[in-house]
Amino acid sequence: MTRRDQWLLWLFLAPTLLLMGVFLYYPMIGTVWESLHQSSFISPDPEFVGAQIYSRVLDDPDFGTILANSLVWTVGVVALQNVLGFAAAMLLNQGLPMQGVLRALVLMPFILPGVVTAILWRFMYDPQLGLVNSLMIRTGLVEDSAAWLADPGTAMAAVIFVAVWKGFPFSMLIYLAALQNVDESQLEAATLDGAGPVRKLFDVVLPAIRHVVLVNIVLTLILTFNYFDIVWVLTRGGPQDSTHIFPTKIYETGFGQFQFGEAATYGVMSILVLAVLVALYVIVERGTSRRRPEA
Amino acid sequence: MKRLLTTSTAALLLAGPAFAQEVTLQFWDNQQTESGLSQYQQEAVDRFMQENPEIRVEVTTIPYPEYQQRLLTAVQGGNAPDIATLDQIWTGAFAAAGALVPLDERAEAAGVSRDAFFGGAWDSAVYEDGLYGIPFNVDVWQFSFFNRALLEEAGVAPERLATFEGLREAAEALSGEGRFGVGLFGHQGEDTVVVANSFIFSNGGQVLAEDGSCALDEPAAVEALQYLQELSQFAPSGILNASSGDMRELFLNGSLAIEFWPALEQPTLQASDIDWGFAVGTAPEGETPVGTFGGWNLSVFESSEHKDAAWKFIEFLTREDVNGDVVDLIPANVAAAESFLAANREGADRIMAHLENAAPRPLSPHYLQIADAQMDLYQDIYSGAEVAAAAEEACARIDQLR
Repeated sequence: MTRRDQWLLWLFLAPTLLLMGVFLYYPMIGTVWESLHQSSFISPDPEFVGAQIYSRVLDDPDFGTILANSLVWTVGVVALQNVLGFAAAMLLNQGLPMQGVLRALVLMPFILPGVVTAILWRFMYDPQLGLVNSLMIRTGLVEDSAAWLADPGTAMAAVIFVAVWKGFPFSMLIYLAALQNVDESQLEAATLDGAGPVRKLFDVVLPAIRHVVLVNIVLTLILTFNYFDIVWVLTRGGPQDSTHIFPTKIYETGFGQFQFGEAATYGVMSILVLAVLVALYVIVERGTSRRRPEA
Repeated sequence: MKRLLTTSTAALLLAGPAFAQEVTLQFWDNQQTESGLSQYQQEAVDRFMQENPEIRVEVTTIPYPEYQQRLLTAVQGGNAPDIATLDQIWTGAFAAAGALVPLDERAEAAGVSRDAFFGGAWDSAVYEDGLYGIPFNVDVWQFSFFNRALLEEAGVAPERLATFEGLREAAEALSGEGRFGVGLFGHQGEDTVVVANSFIFSNGGQVLAEDGSCALDEPAAVEALQYLQELSQFAPSGILNASSGDMRELFLNGSLAIEFWPALEQPTLQASDIDWGFAVGTAPEGETPVGTFGGWNLSVFESSEHKDAAWKFIEFLTREDVNGDVVDLIPANVAAAESFLAANREGADRIMAHLENAAPRPLSPHYLQIADAQMDLYQDIYSGAEVAAAAEEACARIDQLR
């Protein structure tokens, strides 16, 4: 590369780097800086306290609850969303009649804004007036109305269900595109070798799309971990903190209680937890793929 | 000719500023709810601008769920408006942050005093002996709105709802066969706090004692909380995620006999088919119910370059002849409230009496954290936790803030 090309390269990169610096790295560094300083709305002059806020947050029983909730929420949504998304993609890849209409219908939840989805499901889950209880009682699944979002024992499952309902079409779209690129000749060869549908799925299809699976899972992991609107509108993190996850805690602490130092600390912690989750998944996936022959 | 045109244009340009508005005030308001209010509010603003041609007012209304965050961000970013309505419970924090202008001297010079307003509302704008707002509108939690037909069917006399024992008996009698006696709710929201507070206040309890320490674990408060726990068995299922709005839905469809709301609920009920009435709060036999104040104050921000003009606008909005036209709660100006209630609410005298006897929420810059601890406490209680222990736990959290 000539000197002139290098100049050109940096010139073209400059606007992007500038925007990322101002809107991404500066706030990120600011958040870390804030987490090392005691400051709130009523005491806006930041006082350097080192790791004191981290120590306070780690000692707070709320932190354990929020960490556990965040893991259950993220793993639950990512697992179910991907399994359901993959199953839907397999189904829609079979050349069913009216496939275009079916795809459009399945995509509907994904198109709805998160807040609209949450309001819709709040009505559906209503213990007295909601459709969910009405259907479950009619079909004999339950005898009495349940307060799905108001019972600490069921609230997280109810919220996860809504997130999966909204999110699985996203995974489905990506899997569908990947499935359409699976080499037909390999599937035909497997059929000739006597492989059944399950064998073909595990030995041909999944190895062929494993990079897409990796991207899909990492993407949904990050998106789900940082989800805010559905949980906030459905439960505000309640009842009794049973659905409080990192984003709702950060919002409540920062904007609800004006405690910026503590909110920033939860923000930094959430990034660390997310980084660990993603790294763990990538390591496990790489380990698995090394033990597996290339498709 | 060309020279004449040039000279005329220059003269017009120079003369321009003399006709222009000298000051533009940015006024932010929580988006109030009563339909058509914005039209009256704009008419009042137009009237102010006619009376004060040198001042122009630009009104921005923001829905409640976003309002606190928008104000906070604006103050932090140095873009605060000149004037804003502040929820009573925010005033302490904004004052402690140095974001508000003390108004004592201006109020004294203009003859604006506590006497003209509801005492509790005025006190909500006082922080460390300084006045940081003028009360704009008020209301009081809670009134027990009841469905007259359901009460008659169950043989419950409406007067009984005003006492602890009477309300409990009524709630029990009104429950069953797909109906619910009492619309208690316990979601993570401020309406949960103000309703529970009114039972604590009415039982002689407090949230914070005079010295600022937590008083929720004192016998009067614990007794009121035990009463609420008992009452909750007659509420619809799922109250831990239910708000006053959810209870309103059930009340309006006839499946809930009693709902708790401030007087603001009346326009909704007047527009419904329900034959309704209301009891003023709930207290032990022989005691007067003490409600919890709610409402908004008008404050001027330190960053404003037009503080005198802003004060002039506040004086105008809280005047007896204007205040009633620009609020959908109840005017904070007592004289304006009397005529507003007579014209717009049923049982005006009873509402006035309840307002005059109401208590504000703790006037603390840490109020939002105190309220958070209270919400957790009420959720624990409605989930069946041992009341005294839960109250002690909440007090430990609250006392840590001092």
